[in-house]
Amino acid sequence: MTGPDAASAAREIGSVVLDRVTKRYGALAAVDDLTLEIRAGEFLSLLGPSGCGKTTTLRMIGGFEHPDAGDIRISGQSVVALPPYKRHVNTVFQAYALFPHMSVAENVAYGLQQRRTSKADIRDRVSAALDMVRMRTFSERKPTQLSGGQQQRVALARALVNRPSVLLLDEPLAALDRKLREEMQLELKLLQANLGITFVFVTHDQGEALSMSDRIAVMREGRIEQLGDSSTIYSAPVSAYVAGFVGQQNIFDGTVAADLRGVHTRYGMLRPADPITRVSSGAAARAMVRPEFVQIGIDQPDTDANAARGRVIGVSHLGETHQFLIELSPELSLISRRPTPEAPDVSTGQSVWCSWRPESVQVFPADGPAAQNVASAETVPAVIAGKADHDATTADIPATETPAAATHS
Amino acid sequence: MPRRRLPKYALALPAWLWLIAFFIVPVAVVFWYSFGYKPGLFGSHANDVLSFDRYIEVLTPTFFKTFLNTLQIGVAGTLLCFLIGAPVAYWMALKAPAHLKGLLIALVLVPFWTNFLIRTIGWMIVLSPEGWVSQAFQALGFNPVSILYTRPAVLLGVVYNYLPLMILPLYVAFDRVGVVLREASKDLGASPLRTFTRVTFPLARPGIIVGVLLVYIPLMGDYITATVLGGAKGNMVGQMLASQFQTAQNWALGSAMAIMLILITVGSIAVMGGLIVLGTMPIRRRNRVRLQEVSV
Repeated sequence: MTGPDAASAAREIGSVVLDRVTKRYGALAAVDDLTLEIRAGEFLSLLGPSGCGKTTTLRMIGGFEHPDAGDIRISGQSVVALPPYKRHVNTVFQAYALFPHMSVAENVAYGLQQRRTSKADIRDRVSAALDMVRMRTFSERKPTQLSGGQQQRVALARALVNRPSVLLLDEPLAALDRKLREEMQLELKLLQANLGITFVFVTHDQGEALSMSDRIAVMREGRIEQLGDSSTIYSAPVSAYVAGFVGQQNIFDGTVAADLRGVHTRYGMLRPADPITRVSSGAAARAMVRPEFVQIGIDQPDTDANAARGRVIGVSHLGETHQFLIELSPELSLISRRPTPEAPDVSTGQSVWCSWRPESVQVFPADGPAAQNVASAETVPAVIAGKADHDATTADIPATETPAAATHS
Repeated sequence: MPRRRLPKYALALPAWLWLIAFFIVPVAVVFWYSFGYKPGLFGSHANDVLSFDRYIEVLTPTFFKTFLNTLQIGVAGTLLCFLIGAPVAYWMALKAPAHLKGLLIALVLVPFWTNFLIRTIGWMIVLSPEGWVSQAFQALGFNPVSILYTRPAVLLGVVYNYLPLMILPLYVAFDRVGVVLREASKDLGASPLRTFTRVTFPLARPGIIVGVLLVYIPLMGDYITATVLGGAKGNMVGQMLASQFQTAQNWALGSAMAIMLILITVGSIAVMGGLIVLGTMPIRRRNRVRLQEVSV
């Protein structure tokens, strides 16, 4: 980014700039020449599997790790030389890291006490912070007397009471059970929107990232593979890695047809809506179709491509959707998810035809294993297209309501 | 038919039996003897007439001076062990490379592989006027120095013998505090010093108390270190007490001394503990946060 607008945005209070940052552990680069501009007031997620460098990146912003090369600027000021306690940044740690020998109120007051705030002021601000996370009545308790979700709220209040320019969150919801996690996702998002503080959120949970983030940086081996908003990441992934990591995918390996209009696979031709541009003809390619786009029928569809015959080996009811597992061969089973009212009446063992529309086919170079391969029938993914008009706790979107896939790819 | 279960305290039964047979009963016997007297030249104890006379005897200036001496060595030795041991334990637990920790602990324990008496006598050779410390001084043009049979020699021996007992519990204590809470403290704006005083130290306190007691209590009863390295200046109650039983054959007086030693040890710990609690009260009050004023 260049130009006066970009330069002033990078100086705004709450902006974070990582400028060609590298962090090595021995020979291994945990973060490799990474450049990222986080805008003031945005909710940015660093998403990736363990070992992709997302936590190291967060710890470098917080000051707990020192980069081997590159510069980090918070609100326009280089912080590389500053210890953590001199950075206007606060962290919500993965295991909360509440002080066990202090009460809830004392935990929250700790940061203010370091800044020589008056006692009356401390009391007011701690009360307000605990009200914000609805933990006021627990102020005299010790952290060990609280549940995981309550500890989580206290950790949040303890960080936010200091009014940081940037809040760093290191997988803060990982230890919570699913229902609580989804509630907290919603709360965090609302809180961030109300406070206008920059949130940098580290997670390996793509559903979490999709439901909360303004932008997502998908990380791989210390670099950013793709940076974009939720719907872009979900519906227009730049690589098989991103496509496989964000949401579930049905994956077909094959070779690109000579006319660049499809991918030849063991299971027939997969034909995307537009000619293939990412892979040259005759090269190995990976075609992907999301489960929500796979339709099931008894009769053979009237197409020469984008259909495959298989046997139903599993049907599971997920609430708003039904999930079907269809075995095409011993090596490949497809997942199909249909909205419950439209779910076809098929049962295990039945022979069916799977089909999908050209708009739902995405083709990538076969550049190595996808992060998340076809899942088993037991897997319950939480995939959200990241648009505000969807309930953030909804576990799925019906294909008919998703405009995104048609416009990209 | 329900299975019969052993009561829960059964697990502690062997320890309790041991403690009763070899600690509580002997202390009770000593306590009983302390009210008796030495009946003539060849008797060691008699309890047909009971009195507090032996305690009055213990409090005479001759013996009292030794008690004071013991207390001084005990407090100074424990303090030295703490001042030297705490930074080492802190470094081992929180700063040293993780793969070296096992080795470091082993190194702390190395002196324990040699017999207590031998390692103390070893210091005699080093510290004597002909020893290499003195020779090194002479080589530099100083007069021969005699460190042996002085208070510094006693404290040197004490630190040498008791340091591992301080370092190990402190190491465990600092290790348990862990890195995460210290990072959280720094994240909230606390300097390294404030992090130590408000997070690391309070959380390590149980281990620090254990370390201090583990050095202080045996040190109060120790007489080998003090006698070997301190000579007459290292006179401690333990030595005086042993001689009442072994040489003077005055078990009644020795018992009274033993009871006094127990009382002084426990009493001094209580006084020091109380002083620390009182002394830190203002700090704790300052850091306390109550959202609503509590009506007492």
